[in-house]
Amino acid sequence: MNSIHVTGLRVRHRKTLALDSLDLGLGTGVHGLLGPNGAGKTSLIRVLATVARPDAGRVEILGEDTAEHRGRTEVRRRLGYLPQEFGYYPGFTVREFVAYVAWLKEVPAERVPDAVERAVTRVGLADRADAKVRTLSGGMVRRVGIAQAIVNDPAVLLLDEPTAGLDPEQRVEFRALLRELGTSATVVVSTHLVEDVAAACTEVTLLDAGRVAYRGTPEALTVLGEASDGPGDHPIERGYTAVLRAHRAAGSGAREAVR
Amino acid sequence: MNGLVLYARSRALPLTLAALAGTTAFAVWSAGRLDSYLDPDRRVPVVALAPLLASAVIGTSLYTASAELDRTAVRPWWPRRLAQLALLTALAAALLPLAVLGHTETFGPPAMIRNTLGCTGFTALAAALLGARLSWLPAFAYVSAVYMGGHGAHGRAATVWAWPMQPGAERGAWVAAVTLFALGAALYAAVGARPEGPRA
Repeated sequence: MNSIHVTGLRVRHRKTLALDSLDLGLGTGVHGLLGPNGAGKTSLIRVLATVARPDAGRVEILGEDTAEHRGRTEVRRRLGYLPQEFGYYPGFTVREFVAYVAWLKEVPAERVPDAVERAVTRVGLADRADAKVRTLSGGMVRRVGIAQAIVNDPAVLLLDEPTAGLDPEQRVEFRALLRELGTSATVVVSTHLVEDVAAACTEVTLLDAGRVAYRGTPEALTVLGEASDGPGDHPIERGYTAVLRAHRAAGSGAREAVR
Repeated sequence: MNGLVLYARSRALPLTLAALAGTTAFAVWSAGRLDSYLDPDRRVPVVALAPLLASAVIGTSLYTASAELDRTAVRPWWPRRLAQLALLTALAAALLPLAVLGHTETFGPPAMIRNTLGCTGFTALAAALLGARLSWLPAFAYVSAVYMGGHGAHGRAATVWAWPMQPGAERGAWVAAVTLFALGAALYAAVGARPEGPRA
């Protein structure tokens, strides 16, 4: 059963169409959202996170319509979100920042200390829990971002470029965390790093110019790449390029036919 | 770790309270040097500028470092925003008149309270439209312009547009200031400070 159900989603930024009549269903597991810059990945994540309103279409998360106030409230309680730039309060420690987000999510007060401890430990920051966030390195700040996103044990977790700034060892650990989270939650990860998708995702959705260019498993994308002689160092990268080019060729072919 | 305490700290409220206390002390000190017992009109600089400083302090406290995350909060924000703005404005309106006690018909506590409402409303409006960090700028430009050019202004219209320079009993000035506060508070409560930073 799908936890996220999107139909006819359209998002416009001034004159640019960021998402164009998008239909998508996502269930439990880790879903990689791939695509070039401007493909609409962040726009989609922001609509799913209920921070941006679509111009048209319907978004249903965990059975609730996010266009309705009550539905949005219920969804937010069970949603985790890591934006590309999440910002933090300079005077806060790691523990305080994660507790602040737990408060935003209305985690019951008596459960907050344990929830914060658990989230901070899961991202490997237990020994820095009382350090000010502003004193941490870029990779550690990113892990604080991941900790705040999982503090309420979300049923739907949305991560926009979560591995940016992480070193290779941290990325390997993060992928293991993703796989663990994906056993019980619907995790959507927007990324440019195809190898993260290959290693951690159960399904991949490739967006291009606001439309779905491909949906399948990372293994199927790898197989496509093995059969392709396009650019890319790894089969999954070649599969990514091949799918993108085929989608664009089909789009321009359709436009020619209309003329 | 109480959520409301974290919220207060996230908006730098301890620093804001200290800054409001400092502004009041500065206003009391300035007013004490004006010999206003000779002529209450000498208080005009304090009555016009102290609320401006207080509104700048309040306006910059409306800044939200993690606006994107805050928008995923379960509860609606408007009551918290309105409470924050109303409490800080009430505090400034209670403290600043201490600098200009007496002379209620001219430049005493009523004029100071009115200007506090007007300047804070102006700043809240600017926070919603421009962002909190520069929210003090439009009110600063307007009040400075009125201060420099409004001395010779007379007539009913002038009591409205030159509201920061009017005596406390002037009705048009009260209407202008209260309207500004109502507009600013309503808009800020409804939409919050305009997001700043990478996503602005």
